Amino acid sequence: MNCLRRFRRNKALNFAVLIALCFLLILPVVAQSANAHPSRAGMLQEEAVADTSAVVGTDPLSEDYRTVWGMDSRVVVWIVAELHLMFGAFVLGVPLFAVILEVVAVKTGDLRYDKLAHEFTTLLSAAFATTAALGGLQAFVLIGLYPTFMKYLGGVFHQSFYIYALMFFGEAFALYLYYYSWERMKNHKGWHITLGVIMNIFGIMIMVIANSWASFMMSPSGVDPQSGNVLSHWEAFFNPLWNPLNIHRFLANITFGGVVAAAYAAVKFLGTDDPDEKAHYDWMGYVGNFVAIASLIFLPFAGYYLGREIYSFSSVMGNNMMGGAFSWTFIVQAILIGMLFIGANFYLWSGMQRIPGAERYQGYIKYINFVLLLCFAVWLTPHNLPLSPEEQIVMGGQYHPVLKYLGLMSAKNAAVNFIIISTFFSFLLYRRANKGELWKFSQQGNQAKIVLAAVAVICLGMLFWYAEFLFTLEPESMDLGEEKRQYFMFPAILLVVQMAVVVVGLFLTYKDRGELAQYICMGMTVFSGVFCLGVYGYVIMTQANAFLRNIAVSQFMMLLSCLIFVSAIDIFLFRKAKEIGGIAWGRMTTASQYILVLICVSTVLLIALMGFIRSGLREDWHVYGILRDTSASAFTPSMAYMGQVVGLIAIIFLGMISFVFWLGTGLGSKERKGAIS
Amino acid sequence: MKSGFLRVSVFAICLILVFVYITHFLTEISGGDSSGGSAVTGVSPEAGEAIFWGKGKCFTCHSIGGRGSAIRCPNLGDSNQGPVIGVRTEERAAQRSAETGRKFTGTDYLVETLATPGAYVVEGFKNEMPLVFMPPISLQAEEIMAVITYLQSQGGEPDPAGIKLPAKMLAAASAAPEPFKPYLAGDWEAGRHWFYDVTGPAGCVRCHIAIDENGQETGGQVGPSLTMIAATRGPQYILESILSPSAVIASGYESELVITKKGTFIAGLAKEENDEQLMLVTSLPETLYVKKNDIEKRVPQPTSVMPSNFSELMSVQLLHDILAYLLTLNGEAPTAEVAAAP
Repeated sequence: MNCLRRFRRNKALNFAVLIALCFLLILPVVAQSANAHPSRAGMLQEEAVADTSAVVGTDPLSEDYRTVWGMDSRVVVWIVAELHLMFGAFVLGVPLFAVILEVVAVKTGDLRYDKLAHEFTTLLSAAFATTAALGGLQAFVLIGLYPTFMKYLGGVFHQSFYIYALMFFGEAFALYLYYYSWERMKNHKGWHITLGVIMNIFGIMIMVIANSWASFMMSPSGVDPQSGNVLSHWEAFFNPLWNPLNIHRFLANITFGGVVAAAYAAVKFLGTDDPDEKAHYDWMGYVGNFVAIASLIFLPFAGYYLGREIYSFSSVMGNNMMGGAFSWTFIVQAILIGMLFIGANFYLWSGMQRIPGAERYQGYIKYINFVLLLCFAVWLTPHNLPLSPEEQIVMGGQYHPVLKYLGLMSAKNAAVNFIIISTFFSFLLYRRANKGELWKFSQQGNQAKIVLAAVAVICLGMLFWYAEFLFTLEPESMDLGEEKRQYFMFPAILLVVQMAVVVVGLFLTYKDRGELAQYICMGMTVFSGVFCLGVYGYVIMTQANAFLRNIAVSQFMMLLSCLIFVSAIDIFLFRKAKEIGGIAWGRMTTASQYILVLICVSTVLLIALMGFIRSGLREDWHVYGILRDTSASAFTPSMAYMGQVVGLIAIIFLGMISFVFWLGTGLGSKERKGAIS
Repeated sequence: MKSGFLRVSVFAICLILVFVYITHFLTEISGGDSSGGSAVTGVSPEAGEAIFWGKGKCFTCHSIGGRGSAIRCPNLGDSNQGPVIGVRTEERAAQRSAETGRKFTGTDYLVETLATPGAYVVEGFKNEMPLVFMPPISLQAEEIMAVITYLQSQGGEPDPAGIKLPAKMLAAASAAPEPFKPYLAGDWEAGRHWFYDVTGPAGCVRCHIAIDENGQETGGQVGPSLTMIAATRGPQYILESILSPSAVIASGYESELVITKKGTFIAGLAKEENDEQLMLVTSLPETLYVKKNDIEKRVPQPTSVMPSNFSELMSVQLLHDILAYLLTLNGEAPTAEVAAAP
């Protein structure tokens, strides 16, 4: 009853339920109008009839586009949609790791994790109502400003609109039950965690349903290409880019939730002089950043997969992305991602200053830094620049004789792999910073041996699967001649070598040489994945260009197996190791906290930038190749203009979320202070 | 806490401003805001070049010699993949003739690569070229022919007469695009007023002939007659002609700059000339006659004599009012019925 009373008193919850109700009211209206004119041809026909009649005033049925208060409709939708997406990413990402933290608390018995999970959920409940309100606003502006487009989209997806709204109810109820039952169910953690899992299931359902609408606009399927008539609702839902977008957004949401929570902790850290609070927020910032980086490491691969599928669906769209109007936006992306990785490494190195024993590893930092900056420079290098004839004469042609190679995909992939493995190495140093005498692996019992062997088998299976695929790959399937088969062998052999490395690593670890096994595994991954395949990529580009994508997947397989296997060794290697001293939580530098803010701002800008690219790739189509955008805004804005709008979005979002957090937690700081202590 | 939050806020805003600056800087070094359509139309290598490097998106896959950076599909210039495309087509035509038993010309080969790109795939490349006459690129038949003449001009001779597009391609490429709709509804009567008001911001009648409310053809002869404009041109073309008069210059209305021996510059249309004198029509009310002996030089002008600043002189509503009036001009005196027709 106590829980129910709190539930009733909570204004945020009431607001969220109200918005959910609005959704339920709006969506049937859209769906109904869509049902009346399910096809584009039908709509055009109706408009033609409307145009011929002498109408006094404005006929709402004949309007394809509207404006509101003189504002640019596209910019209005752009800003509202992006803000909704950001709040949505936060409220879908944070529950995932809040529940994981709760599980960790139960497994380890460390109540700090439980309190942290609760604090994260506090942020969540405050942001949820705003997310819902923005969702409602987005629906309104789309229906109001782009009525014909929404009619069409409603005609294709109206069934999923209802399910979406119901999932929203489920998410709202599960979230508030999860949050408000924390104390009440503290002795029934299993059930409480189950509630958290249900909440996440609803959240993921919401995400994948909305993703189907967005991905359909890019890669429409299940509709007649000529008329736009719906042939299969299911096929439209499960369109080609749906799953790549799901994976990309799932990982990005976790990263986003992590960086926002870490930035929140940084602001709190900087704003307090209380040692206990400083310690708490230092630790919270670390956990948030750890969660963000853990998922960020996999994001480049998810992005590559999405990009590859975009290309597979439409080479026109794919080429426009990487070689056309949007190619320069990827330089901006590289700058932001470079800032993320360098910032994350800097934060780890700063964190090592509060760990006794870390001085043993300080010497490595300058080398890691050098590698990061070098790779960052490679990633930033464009293939060519628009040059004047005089400049071309000075340089000896349109391309720089050396730097032109760094602008190609092969160099970029190698650089990304090297950045990721360097960041992973920084993390390993951080983990072992205060560890002294190790407990030998051979003394850790059979369970450790079995688990490590199982991990090795998973890695071997993964590597074998792709090596076997390459050995048996038919050149004809890629429109290549039989003589090109020879080019598939080298990466396949390197994968087999990587398998051998895993086996040797397992053997060495069993012989208590785990650290050596880690170094061999990482060293070979850099040698094979970064250097060998990085250079080999140029050969492939000239000899069998279509195979280049398989090189990237081979690199990913090597890196993934390395990350998994080395992490597993590390866990056992430093389990029960003697500590040189405890981590002095709270003794972090001010600069490190600003780095957390920098990571957050970079991520916010990055998510807005990538939203622009994803949406902009459709160019002058609402639904690519099906429903053309005939508005005055059917052009791709310049990068400078994009920068202004994205900057504005970032400022609005950061302002709004700061206000929401202040509302949700700042007003109750006394209560929370008690909880921390 | 408050000062901490303030400092963080200032820091965050500075980061965002740096981001905005970077996007501006990159826009500048990457060639600026290059959005906008081609100013050249018709079936010509110039029009084809604009489409190849613009709307057609051909450049995202193909380079031509040292121009462009795409490597996904064959370089169409003189490269390790063969001679320049205008020459290469003849070799490929011979190869296709041998393979199919059907006689191919170089032009036929180019048509085939666009109509059925998978029919012949250059070794080492994937069969992935899209159909340019289908969405999303949706080139029109004339645009496809322009691209072909452009490719022919790379080392060869353009042969627009030899281009025969297959029926299927022609049907798809000639399909009516989405009809253009003016952004605002115009008042044709107000438009007529502004058309004839020589003291107003438009005053089109000074240079163009149109039909007034009495059915009389009146107006200047500097520009083409607009009495049949609604029957021959669409609203998009008319709007573009008003706002960018040099984009497409009507045949016979190319201007020239006459420089006299006294150093006088006269820009206008050469309406008539004989051995002794040149008759020039300018925006002035009277026609100018210049003795040929007095002329130092005559320079053809790539720009129209029509002022290019109507976007500054006219409001958007006024522009649409004039457009509405022009869309009533089909050879007869404009009426409300004609104006209301779709």
